[in-house]
Amino acid sequence: MLPDGLKVDAIIVGSGAAGSHYAAKLAAGGKRVAILEAGPARSNADLVSSTLWARRLKWHGAPVLETGKNPVGHVFNAGYGVGGSALHHYAVWPRLHEGDFSLRSRHDRGLDWPISYDDLRPFYDAVQEEAGVSGDAEREIWRPPGAPYPMVPVPLMPQGALIAEGFKRVGLHTAPLPLAVNTQVYRGRAPCIWDGWCDAGCPIGALANPLTVHLPEALAAGATLHPDTTVTRVLTDSRGERAIGVQTVDAQGARGQVFADLVVLAAFTVQNARLLLASAGARHPDGLANSSGALGRYITTHLAAQIFGLHEQRTQPWLGAFGGQLLNQDHYDDKATHAASGALGSYQWMIAQAVKPNDLLGIAPSRPELFGAPLAAFMERAAQHFITMTGVIEDLPLAENRITLSERRDVNGVPLAAVARTSSSQSTALWDAAVLEGRRVLEATGASEVWSGSPAPMHIMGGTIMGADTRRSVANSFGQTHDIANLVIGGPGLFPTTGGVNPTFTVHALTARSAAYLLRNWRTITG
Amino acid sequence: MPLLSTRRELLLASGVGLLTFTLEGCARQMTPREAQQRGADLAVLTSQEAELVRALGEVLAPGSGEAGLAHYLDHQLGAGAARSMLMIKYLGVEPPFTSFYRDGLRALEDATRARFGQTFVTLDAARARALVEDIAAGRSENWAGPPAAFFYFVLRNDACDVLYGTQQGFSELGVPYLAHIEPPTPWGA
Ligand SMILES: Cc1cc2nc3c(=O)[nH]c(=O)nc-3n(C[C@H](O)[C@H](O)[C@H](O)COP(=O)(O)OP(=O)(O)OC[C@H]3O[C@@H](n4cnc5c(N)ncnc54)[C@H](O)[C@@H]3O)c2cc1C
Ligand code: SF4
Repeated sequence: MLPDGLKVDAIIVGSGAAGSHYAAKLAAGGKRVAILEAGPARSNADLVSSTLWARRLKWHGAPVLETGKNPVGHVFNAGYGVGGSALHHYAVWPRLHEGDFSLRSRHDRGLDWPISYDDLRPFYDAVQEEAGVSGDAEREIWRPPGAPYPMVPVPLMPQGALIAEGFKRVGLHTAPLPLAVNTQVYRGRAPCIWDGWCDAGCPIGALANPLTVHLPEALAAGATLHPDTTVTRVLTDSRGERAIGVQTVDAQGARGQVFADLVVLAAFTVQNARLLLASAGARHPDGLANSSGALGRYITTHLAAQIFGLHEQRTQPWLGAFGGQLLNQDHYDDKATHAASGALGSYQWMIAQAVKPNDLLGIAPSRPELFGAPLAAFMERAAQHFITMTGVIEDLPLAENRITLSERRDVNGVPLAAVARTSSSQSTALWDAAVLEGRRVLEATGASEVWSGSPAPMHIMGGTIMGADTRRSVANSFGQTHDIANLVIGGPGLFPTTGGVNPTFTVHALTARSAAYLLRNWRTITG
Repeated sequence: MPLLSTRRELLLASGVGLLTFTLEGCARQMTPREAQQRGADLAVLTSQEAELVRALGEVLAPGSGEAGLAHYLDHQLGAGAARSMLMIKYLGVEPPFTSFYRDGLRALEDATRARFGQTFVTLDAARARALVEDIAAGRSENWAGPPAAFFYFVLRNDACDVLYGTQQGFSELGVPYLAHIEPPTPWGA
């Protein structure tokens, strides 16, 4: 139980990818760290191999009210409890590319990051060594410079081999998908057995999630972890210039306060912004760290482009990692590849995901119009002959896509987050162009049928963006808020732009960079 | 005594895989299929609603009604948002979900009566299919409930979860289950 009035060096709000990593680094740096986690405790024993049981890992904190043409899909895209979303994430870990950091300068759209790829490169290299990433750097002909992967790549299963042939036939290239999944024993952790249960959480330690990598490190270094402890407000001193701690409420409704020299918000994109907005007070009437008015703005998700097919050959589509087997980024670096159709942005293909018969990303929902006998016939055939790949499509940041506070409040009296999001025409045009390409590729495999899904939200980013201009952004490149030096934000909410790659490797690189900076400058920041 | 040859038999023999349902006032361990067959008490749905769910399930994914779709829904609706395994939880509907299902089932029944002058459970296969086709396309007349196409999508996925989302469902499709940790029960206890 969390003692009321506890004083530590650093409070970390949230125990997911960013929170557990911050805790590990700060605790190893000699700081007394308390991790406060809203959801329940979780252990590997909770990671039951079932598409139905897996749904208990999804967000079930305060409801998020969603509007707009492209809602962010908060419950599907967020986890709850120790390990956060990252506990059941699929561990596809590509890097952002150089061009992703300067969208505004290069294309006069979107935003620039306040850092370049070179600033992050050493941290990508260090994180991949620490967490373990498998891949083939040479075959990733598009990969920005960096150390080779510490593990050999994922094996190719029949589904992957067939689709690779399709890419080849249309003149496109594939490489093994970079995955934070062990292809061999790595630092004492077991190798993957390619059973495709990553969405339910990998209980054997083969996938780099918080339970496997950073939480054990944090706890070993003396950090304490407090599940069922929801942070409801960030507290500041009377002048509103420094964060002094947080207010909490436990599962029984008991309220408390915890004090610290540094507060790190790592409660994921929507909840981080909600907490800051809900911590408004006389000195910060529009929310903490919101002197710019940018807090809550530029919320984004990737648009997923799902392409499906049936092949004459048996594909054993249940084999492999849930994230897939192969990668294609042929059109990544020229964000204007499809400019003729009004599109702007980067995209990649994650190829040959392991699939299960049911669940949102499973076989049955891929053909939602089928029911009755045609559904039964389809399922029987598709279970053995299914092929699929998913495009990760960049979503341009728009100021009007925004997290605000609703009039409604949760059981603790905190206003609910309302999220309005409609993608730009350039991003939906890019999605359209990618879908055409994806269908062409699967047709080139010789598939007997090819079809595609509608745009789906994937990875929630933005809302607490970093930037060089303190009048237009919330935090600097270390996640330190412009307004309050000892209040730090972690996670993909910091991303000014999304690129077309999965975000968590970059979350870790940013966290490693920020933690080193915080430890180096502890006195100035917290003094 | 014969040796138990598979893990599945072991699970069944040890009583794992069973949920607690109430039969004539007494708590009994049963699979949802047995609960369905033996008419176990319902905690949330009325018996008419359960009957309707079963019939709709048979139209959407044949076999799902018999496999216990109504008792599955009933169990999940009573489980609370944290423990619920319903797919609707990530489709933008706020918990509790009972009113979504209840309103949708009422709309289905009303639309059936308006069009055919009979209840859904008494429809022949051709009429049931024609009606569901219209609901799926969102063009059902006399529909007053959650958006018809969305209701179809949710119930169809529930039916697929019951039919295909268990170890038995995988095995019937010839898909190796390959569990790291076997589900203690197919659908939560
Ligand atoms: C199904 C799925 C698959 C994914 N696959 C990939 C992938 O293959 N590759 C990739 O790069 N990314 C993937 N992601 C995204 C990835 O999980 C996120 O980018 C990453 O987890 C974000 O890290 P975070 O620390 O910001 O948030 P999280 O990991 O979500 O952690 C946030 C934590 O904060 C807690 N919290 C929230 N509010 C409060 C509060 N008020 N008080 C205390 N605690 C609070 C939450 O319960 C949660 O545990 C996937 C996500 C999902 C859901
Ligand atoms: S496929 Fe590999 S990483 Fe995924 S759950 Fe199975 S063993 Fe774990």
